[in-house]
Formats: sequence, structure tokens, C-alpha cells
Amino acid sequence: MDLPAGTRNYSYAQDMAIFRTKTHWALLIALLVILFTAPFYLGNYWLGVINLIGITIIAATGLNILTGYCGQLSIGHAGFIAVGAYTSAVLTNRLELPFLVGFICAGLVAGLVGMVFGIPSLRVKGFYLAISTIAAQFIIIWIINHWSSVTGGFVGITVPYASIGGLVFKSEGSQFFLIMTITALTIFFAKNLARTRVGRAFVAIRDNDLAAEVMGINLFRYKLLAFFIGCFLAGIAGSLLAHWIGFMNAEHFSLIQSILYVGMIIIGGLGTTIGPIFGAVFLRGLDQLLTMELTPFLERSFTALPAGFATGIAPMVFGLVVVLFLVLEPRGLAHRWQLFKASYRLWPFSY
Amino acid sequence: MKIVAELLQFVITGVTVGMVYALIALGFVLIWKSSGVANLALGQLVLISSWFTYGMLVQAGLPIWVGFLLVLVFAVALGWIIERFILRPLIAQPILSLITVTLGLAYFIQGLVVFIWPWSVDALPRLFPKEPFHIGPAVLSQEYVWAAGISLLLFGLLSLFFRYHKMGIAMRATADDQMAVQACGIPVTRIFSQSWMLACVLAAIGGILMSSIGGITFGLVETGLKAFSVVILGGLDSFLGAIVAGPIIGLAENLGGGYLTPLTWPGVREVIPFIVIIIVMFLKPYGLFGEERIERI
Repeated sequence: MDLPAGTRNYSYAQDMAIFRTKTHWALLIALLVILFTAPFYLGNYWLGVINLIGITIIAATGLNILTGYCGQLSIGHAGFIAVGAYTSAVLTNRLELPFLVGFICAGLVAGLVGMVFGIPSLRVKGFYLAISTIAAQFIIIWIINHWSSVTGGFVGITVPYASIGGLVFKSEGSQFFLIMTITALTIFFAKNLARTRVGRAFVAIRDNDLAAEVMGINLFRYKLLAFFIGCFLAGIAGSLLAHWIGFMNAEHFSLIQSILYVGMIIIGGLGTTIGPIFGAVFLRGLDQLLTMELTPFLERSFTALPAGFATGIAPMVFGLVVVLFLVLEPRGLAHRWQLFKASYRLWPFSY
Repeated sequence: MKIVAELLQFVITGVTVGMVYALIALGFVLIWKSSGVANLALGQLVLISSWFTYGMLVQAGLPIWVGFLLVLVFAVALGWIIERFILRPLIAQPILSLITVTLGLAYFIQGLVVFIWPWSVDALPRLFPKEPFHIGPAVLSQEYVWAAGISLLLFGLLSLFFRYHKMGIAMRATADDQMAVQACGIPVTRIFSQSWMLACVLAAIGGILMSSIGGITFGLVETGLKAFSVVILGGLDSFLGAIVAGPIIGLAENLGGGYLTPLTWPGVREVIPFIVIIIVMFLKPYGLFGEERIERI
């Protein structure tokens, strides 16, 4: 049920196209128009929320390529984002290089660091890999915290605004355009990657790496490539995050954040393009709802709340949501979305 | 003389703390062997049972033996709840889901701890006498000695349990071959449940020992993470490996912390277990005593 009834293919190009019908194109254009005019009708607060969601989508897409498509579990994603963020921050602040150089280098350095920590994936998988990525996370954060002559250590480092040519992305609205453009390109890239030789090799490795190797897929190359692509996207997300916040310290990249990213791709749906988008919107939205709306409301309404309510409620809810999704809907929101689309197309005849 | 005293101090502290790591790590190995679940919420289990002990002994003001009994009951109940409501619906799911669900659990427990005990740092009442021990030129507070002693005692009890008790034998059998065990009429799900309870009890005891040494902080979560480096070094499916690797990690941590800090940066002590993990991954990924699985298609 991927296409509306009556859609026929007359050429291979048609068969391969992502957007097939006129409705698809109309919806795409409408979405892009609504999205890219958002700075004209949304306030700074909501633009900030959407910017954070955009950055999160880029990072989650990277993790999804690594974990969802290639099956290599990484619980150190926040560490790799940190590598990107600090590379960009150090290059633009200390060496005063232009933003674009910092941005590209952030992706490359994070990708290379990811590859180094991905080398054990050639011999081990599952839990072993999870532990070695946790170790990577701790080692990276420790280096960032203590190499203070470069990274600023615990104090942190200020990051200049992003700028391309003479254009400085200073306001929330202008940064929105930068972040959303890169997010859209990332999603487009991820969607297409999954349909290429590389993407299919990743899926083969995920499903059974021995069988994949026997079929002639070079495990060494493709596993490291998955680590490189996943961490490259983490790196550019980190770079955007650094320039968006304007100030970096290692507190942004705790282990809890790494767990949150894994939760996102699980909730969204592993191994789908739309999954990370759903997951990022869902969890970041839930975060906003809990910390900005619900908690102040409850604190105003009930005076006898325990003191830890405000800080404790968000992790509790997130943990519960991840557990419940895994128990009740392991295929994530993307699966629900598929079911919804199928029943919408077939309505009123459900089969 | 001073150098020798220093060295001896590091060695003894390292070995004793390492035994507590080994104790916590045993809980992990137990669950991994019997049900194939990687319990990444280990640190959080240590954390919440330490805080529960605090709640019983300090906030409720119960006498120590009643408090400890209640902590054991709490740990057993926690293990039962986790297995029954979270892991059992996920039987036969891919390892990815099994790992992630314990991560979600870890997140939840951490939130719960902040929720109930928001001040996040405190100390248990003094459980052991105050006078320090003198071993040669080294000075050691009694907590370390007691921690090592209790851990050794528990190792002994556990090995007897696995050797002779019916439940222990059933657990070993489940670890060996789930299908065969089920065919023999042993209820596998009950074994899973029991191994979770036992693991939670071990985490609780480890938590009490660690927090009597260093107070109750979020550092206890890292104690759980250090237990991962113990199981990685010792081999995931080896009880002996955990017991041997625990003191090694403790030693590496204390010796490295003592002698490497002037050469590198402060806090190097905290990352040494993680560096050990990476080194083991590169050189001998299945650990010292772990069984190397040969896969077939």
C-alpha cells in the first residue's frame, strides 16, 4: 500500500521517484512553503523550539543510519555530537576560520572519531558495542572537560554566530533558515542513501552480518562507513547546535542525552526515514510540554508538590515512554503512520 | 618508605573496592547468562537501593537490622517488578530492544531518585567502627575492610548456592541451554524472575557498601558503569571472570589515579575503567574468561 490505487509505472525513473503523484508534489510544496515561511508568523520562542527539533532530527537521522539501518547500536551519540560542536567552536573561535570550514570539519572530525570507536564493531556486536560506545562517550567528555587550553574546560567556550559570506545568522529567524535547509537536505540524503547500494548493504549487515559477508559485502568497509556517516551527521548537528546556542560546555552532552537519542529512533521507528523526524518531534515536544507548560501549571495548582518534581518528572516520563513504546509498539510511530496511510487510502473499504 | 606506603595504600584500596565492583558485576552476569538481557540499568539500581537504604535508616529512623531487611525486600520486589512487567513482554525480541528497554528503565529510575530525593548528595549513618586499620605502613578505614570481607563472604555463599542449591543448579542449567531446560519441565520464566531478584539484591548490597565508603551521590551510577568494565574484562558469561576482573579494575583505577594524575589531567581515575573497556575491545573482545561464540548462518 505504498501508493494510491491506480498509480501505474511506465518507466524505471517513475518507479524510482520518491514523489509520484500530483498530490505528493502538492503536499511537498505546501509543506515547504508552510515550513519556510514560519519565521514570518511564529514568535521567537516557537522558532527556538523548532530550531532545536531540526538539529535533533539531523543527529537522530545519523543515529538511525548507524543503528536503524546498519544495526550497530551506539549509546555514545551525544559524545560524537560534542566532538562536532567543539571542533566547530574551536575552529571558529580560537582560529577564527569561517563558519563553513568549521561546519565541514565538525562533520569530518566527528566521523573520524566515530570510525575509531567503531573499529571494535568488526569483531563484536550487540551489548559489547553498546558498552564500547558508552566508554567512547565518557572518554570524549573527559577530554573535553580537561583539555582546557583548547576547549575551555568546565568553564566552556563562546561560539560566534554562523555566517556565510557577509550573511550573519544572528536572529532566531535567520538561523531557522540555515538549520531547516540543512535538515531538509539531511532527510533527502538519508532517504536516498537507504535506496542505494550502500543503504542496501547496511540493511543486509543489520539482518545477518555473516550472510552479508558471504554474499560479498565488505563488512570492514561498510560498518566503518556506517559509523562515519552516522557520526558525520552527529558532527554537523553539533556544529549547528554550537552556533545556535552560542556557548558550549560539556553539560549539553551527557549520557542521558545519548539515551534520549536512542529513545527517539525507537519511538519514531527504526530503519525508516520518517522515524527520526517523528521521534525528535515527539520527544522534544514532550520535553517542552513538560518543562514549560505542565510543570509550572501543576506547581501553581498544587502547592504541596515535592521539591524534586520539576527536575525529576521529565526523565521519569521519558523513561516510561521509551519502555512503554518498546513493550507496546516496538515498530514505533512510523509503523502507526503506515497503518494510518493505508487505511486512509482504502477507506471506506478496509481491505 | 613513603613510596612503599603509598603503593600499598593504592593496592589495598583498589583490591577492596574492586571486590564490590565484582559483586555488582555478578548481578549483571547472572541476568546475561540466564536470560540474555544486557542490564544497562545496573548503576541506577545501585543508586536507588542506596537511597532506599537512606530512606529507611535516616528518614524513617529504623534500627539497622530492620532497615537492611526492608532493603532486601525492596530489592527483591524491584527485581520481580522489572522482570514481570518490562522484560517478560519482550522475550524473544532482538537484542537492540532488550538493551534499549533497560536504558529507558535507567532513565526512569534516575528521574524517580531526583523526584524523591532532590538534594542528590547525602551520607548513610556510620555502619562500621571508626578506627582505621593499619596494614604495615598503610592506613585503611574500616569500611574498605568490611566491604571486602562481605563481598568475599557473598562470593563464597553464591558459589555454594550455584553448586548445591536446587534453584542455583536450575539457573546454571538455564544459562547453558534454555530449550533443554524448558523440555525438562523447569519454568524458565521463573528462573528469569529469580535471577533479576538476585541481581537486584547484589546491586543493593553493593550500593550499601559503596555508599558507606563514599556517601550517596550520582557517582554510584558510575559504580554501575564500572561494573560493566569488570564484566567486559572478565568475559560476559563468566562468574569467575567477574570475580577476577573486579580487583583488577579496582587496582587499575587506584594505581592509575595515583600515578597518572600528575602526568595527565585530574579525574583520570574516573575514565580508566572506560579506557580499559576500549583496550579490551581492541585486543580480546570476549574478555579473559569469556566464551567466544562461533556463529553459524
